[in-house]
Amino acid sequence: MNSKTEEVLRKDIRKSYNNKLIQKFINAGLEEIRACINCGTCTGSCPSGKRTALRVRSAIKKALDGDESILKDKDIWFCSTCYYCYERCPRNIPVTDMIIKLRNIAVEEGYILDNHFDLAYNVFYKTCHAISAIGENNKKWRELRESYDLPSLPPTVHSYPEAVKECQKLMREVKFKQLLDKIKKKKKKDNKNIK
Amino acid sequence: MNKSALKYGFFLGCVIPNRYPMIERSIRDVFEELNIELIDLAGASCCPAPGVFRSFHILTWLVIAARNLSLSEELKVSPVTGCNGCYGTLRDVWYDLEHDPQLKMKVNEELRKIGKSYTGKYEPKHVVQVLYQDLGLDYLKDYIKYKFSDLKVAVHYGCHIIKPSIKRPWNKEYESPTFLDELVELTGAKSIDYKDKYLCCGAGGALRSGFNEVAADFTKEKLINIRKAKADIIITCCPFCQLQFDLGQKEVSNIFRDEIKKPFTIPVIYITQLIGLSMGIDPNRLGLIKNHNIKDVSPFISLDPFLKLIKKQLI
Amino acid sequence: MVETENLKIGVYICHCGTNISGNINIDLLKEYSSKISNVVLVKDYKFMCSDIGQKLIKADIESGIINRVVIAACSPRLHEYTFRSVCEDIGFNPFLFEQANIREHSSWVNLNDPEGAFEIAKDHINMAVAKASKLKPLKKIKVSVESSCLVIGGGIAGINSALDLANNGYKVYLLEKNPSIGGHMAQLDKTFPTMDCSACILTPRMVDIARNQNITLLTYSEIVGIDGYVGNFKIKIMKKPHYVDQIKCNGCGSCITPCPVICKNEFDLGMTSRKAIYIPFPQAIPGEYTIDMENCIKCGICADPNVCETEAINFNDKPEIINIKVGTIIVATGWDLYDPTELKQYGYGRYPNVINSLQMERLLSSIGPLSGNPARPSDLLVPKRIAFLQCVGSRYYREGGNRYCSRVCCMYAIKQARQYKEKYPDCEIFIFYIDMRTFGKEYEEFYESSQREYGIRYIRGRIAEVLEDKNNNIIIRSEDTLSQQLIELKVDLLILSCGLEPNIDSDKIGSLLCLQKSSDGFFMEAHPKLRPIDTLLEGIFISGVAQGPKDIPDTVAQAKAAASGASILMAKAELEIDPYYTVVIDQLCSGCKICQSLCPYNAIEFDDYKKKALINPVLCKGCGTCAPACPSGAIEQNHFTSDQMNSIIDIIKEDN
Repeated sequence: MNSKTEEVLRKDIRKSYNNKLIQKFINAGLEEIRACINCGTCTGSCPSGKRTALRVRSAIKKALDGDESILKDKDIWFCSTCYYCYERCPRNIPVTDMIIKLRNIAVEEGYILDNHFDLAYNVFYKTCHAISAIGENNKKWRELRESYDLPSLPPTVHSYPEAVKECQKLMREVKFKQLLDKIKKKKKKDNKNIK
Repeated sequence: MNKSALKYGFFLGCVIPNRYPMIERSIRDVFEELNIELIDLAGASCCPAPGVFRSFHILTWLVIAARNLSLSEELKVSPVTGCNGCYGTLRDVWYDLEHDPQLKMKVNEELRKIGKSYTGKYEPKHVVQVLYQDLGLDYLKDYIKYKFSDLKVAVHYGCHIIKPSIKRPWNKEYESPTFLDELVELTGAKSIDYKDKYLCCGAGGALRSGFNEVAADFTKEKLINIRKAKADIIITCCPFCQLQFDLGQKEVSNIFRDEIKKPFTIPVIYITQLIGLSMGIDPNRLGLIKNHNIKDVSPFISLDPFLKLIKKQLI
Repeated sequence: MVETENLKIGVYICHCGTNISGNINIDLLKEYSSKISNVVLVKDYKFMCSDIGQKLIKADIESGIINRVVIAACSPRLHEYTFRSVCEDIGFNPFLFEQANIREHSSWVNLNDPEGAFEIAKDHINMAVAKASKLKPLKKIKVSVESSCLVIGGGIAGINSALDLANNGYKVYLLEKNPSIGGHMAQLDKTFPTMDCSACILTPRMVDIARNQNITLLTYSEIVGIDGYVGNFKIKIMKKPHYVDQIKCNGCGSCITPCPVICKNEFDLGMTSRKAIYIPFPQAIPGEYTIDMENCIKCGICADPNVCETEAINFNDKPEIINIKVGTIIVATGWDLYDPTELKQYGYGRYPNVINSLQMERLLSSIGPLSGNPARPSDLLVPKRIAFLQCVGSRYYREGGNRYCSRVCCMYAIKQARQYKEKYPDCEIFIFYIDMRTFGKEYEEFYESSQREYGIRYIRGRIAEVLEDKNNNIIIRSEDTLSQQLIELKVDLLILSCGLEPNIDSDKIGSLLCLQKSSDGFFMEAHPKLRPIDTLLEGIFISGVAQGPKDIPDTVAQAKAAASGASILMAKAELEIDPYYTVVIDQLCSGCKICQSLCPYNAIEFDDYKKKALINPVLCKGCGTCAPACPSGAIEQNHFTSDQMNSIIDIIKEDN
């Protein structure tokens, strides 16, 4: 195929997906799913699907059909990223990565669980750890460290305030902080949430 | 190769130092005993966690991880982590950036803003990978002093130490690897087979923080299978799985009280806690014997039944 | 040169309906072509290959207006022969003609870019004219044809090709690596969709082979060397030692019981055992015995005259080398079943009650290990509930899998399911599938009846993983994709419908014969539609699954086609070969032998007296490997001389 023909073909494919959301999915690389033969190996392998309403194959299909409801759907947050679907897909589609990308788009659109938002905003951005040992609440953990002959705070960002600054700078540079701020405002305003 | 000349950058992550310091202690002590140098990666942050933060914003995940990797590059060593989640992040980012020069360039552009850079020269490793591949069973067996021949172990691998297999060092084996079983059996213990042995613990993928009861449902299934197989103890190679089996075990016993009838009380320890013990390291240091009066801290499930079992073999 | 002064080139542009003219402006192309030097005439026509188109060219040559022909049309692979014949018909040297491919190489690949297509067409015509200016008249070589054929592989494909050729009066050597002919078809119980007994329709053919005076059966034999060219292949064959004199042995079988060595019976895929002295299966042809030396402990019991009355046992048997000469070769090397062990999620090799489809075939077979009363391997109980999984190893884009569809698995699974239901009407059968592909004659009807009459249940979903419970039952986890439900189904036996792969020895045969393979690993045909049984090497044909997965009807059809192809060649006493071979210019050759080491066809010899390389024009395929490698530039390839190639390159250089 020459490049001009390829360009025309790609344009045609995108034309058939004319809504903005689908464009986002395609740009995120979800269009790889085109090669799916709907064999169900992913869904059948999914340990989460056994106990929740998550249907991996159907969720990604929905996304590519431009069904926005998938973003608000809590189902996509049931994936434990165990990677069985990714490993077993006969068409070599990185299914788990697709779910992650789908979640990224959901967050970008403001759909994030309160718990997750709190973790990102109040723990991760502030301390640069996902689970921290600072603050009065965590005193027992610092004592526990000491009982094992370890300094009360580990030699991580916890012991290096300038490292926290570095990480926070990166998070601002890649617009993560701004995204969180935007979501915070939105959450307050329209109580937008995952169903 | 002179194996005692090995050195690594110790990437702690979050759960190990801040919730399971006995794992940190056991890794440090076991490596010291093996004459392997661990250099602290000063100022390292969260990896960031592949379930939560990667799900929120992939680019953030990439640059923060690349920063962590750059810390070990500055010391000219491979980073080693004891956590499957951190391993997943560091290894995936390393792999992805090696296979996407454009992305690597973009990540470096961001890192430059804080005066750092990333090359990808040093392969991120897992503690288990160092023990099994860099040292090897043959090398380790000379250090084993005590054997626990009556001990029946339920090994739990977790997910990200083996998958995605293309980005892992286990010859693309993901359905039924044996490296952790082999390490466990080095101590004379018996790694028993149980249903759905390779099933996820349920904590990952932002599930524990998002829907604790769904995560607990995974754990319940595992615990039922492990109990059915009559295991004395669960051995993990990931502090987050360990948290899920330890604290989570209490949660499961609580949430599914009616269904499971008898609460679960299966001790859970980390692989270097077991290996350290069989190498003769003081069980007090390894966190196997409680040496403090701090309340509501790990381990949440008592290790006493385990200690009772192996006591006579330690003498 | 004198010739240059007299050059009169005619350019003929074909519209090919609208295949070319629909995308390329023919008038502009004509105008452009007429300005190229030495071009004296430019014509266009709707179909140059048609009768009228041909006459157009003939008239111009005969009237002397032109003395070189350039035709801008489709690929030379399609019509070069046509236009060569046009030249030959009127006594004009056919090698003074050149074809520019402006269809595949320009129009078709630039459908959305007419300007680009036009530019490329210009280049092609320009290059063809440049080369035409340097063309020299050449003469075809004539070779004699040996009236005999070597058929490699004694399965249903090889058997049919051999019989057709032999019945047509040709001498046939039928080579088989195993001790018996019959191939995989001998292992099957029944054949879809008519449910004929496989052995009942196969064995008469096997007997015919043994009885046919024109056929020399070379079982338990392998090719070790091949030399020569179309019409004159010299083949070296090793007959492996049977350690049983094949003439003295009367097939009585008295040696079997006393033999103390028990080993796996490959014919039953290891589900039963056989002795170290054995015949592969009861209807084996030839019916004489063989000692499997890998397992034999040489106890000598079988050699006791009380055991073997004809004293046929010979522990000193040695491999025997025989040399034959044949005119044609048919490759019918067949297939092996995909090994599903690596797909660990299905538990094959780990769980006794997960078997492959060929094992199921043996279980169903009336001459199989259970005399046609299938039971499951773990406890020999009759499974009440069984499942089939389709596409095992097929349509699989990961490492270790096959991307292609094997074309037979859907049908054989339905067939096995129906057979099983006939034997045990109260059983439950599930077939897990992605797509059911039942495209042959009466195949869809066969599928429908399995649903309506037999009540076989089809679940649309590929099994995700398989577990075993403590009673060796199999627990299947899958999605039913039509209802989007996750299912966990306990069955007594799971059959993996594995795909077909090229025979493990086809690599060896392929490299001995210098055959090309397509990306799926099967041998490549010369043209996928019009030359399905020819290879790119003249005189060598492919037949059956060696070319790609196919069922028995298609295999037999192709086997007969291959026999026909070989007959056509052998019916001629002499063959003409295109003169594309390379020649050594003696004065320049330094005798370094580099060319000899590079030639993939062993066409270059070394003349020890003259100390020069010597190229056998018939063996040489004109691949061009030697010419550029020659450090002294002593090798020229006919019709692709340096002069001709440089003239083409010059055009491209000018263009940029």
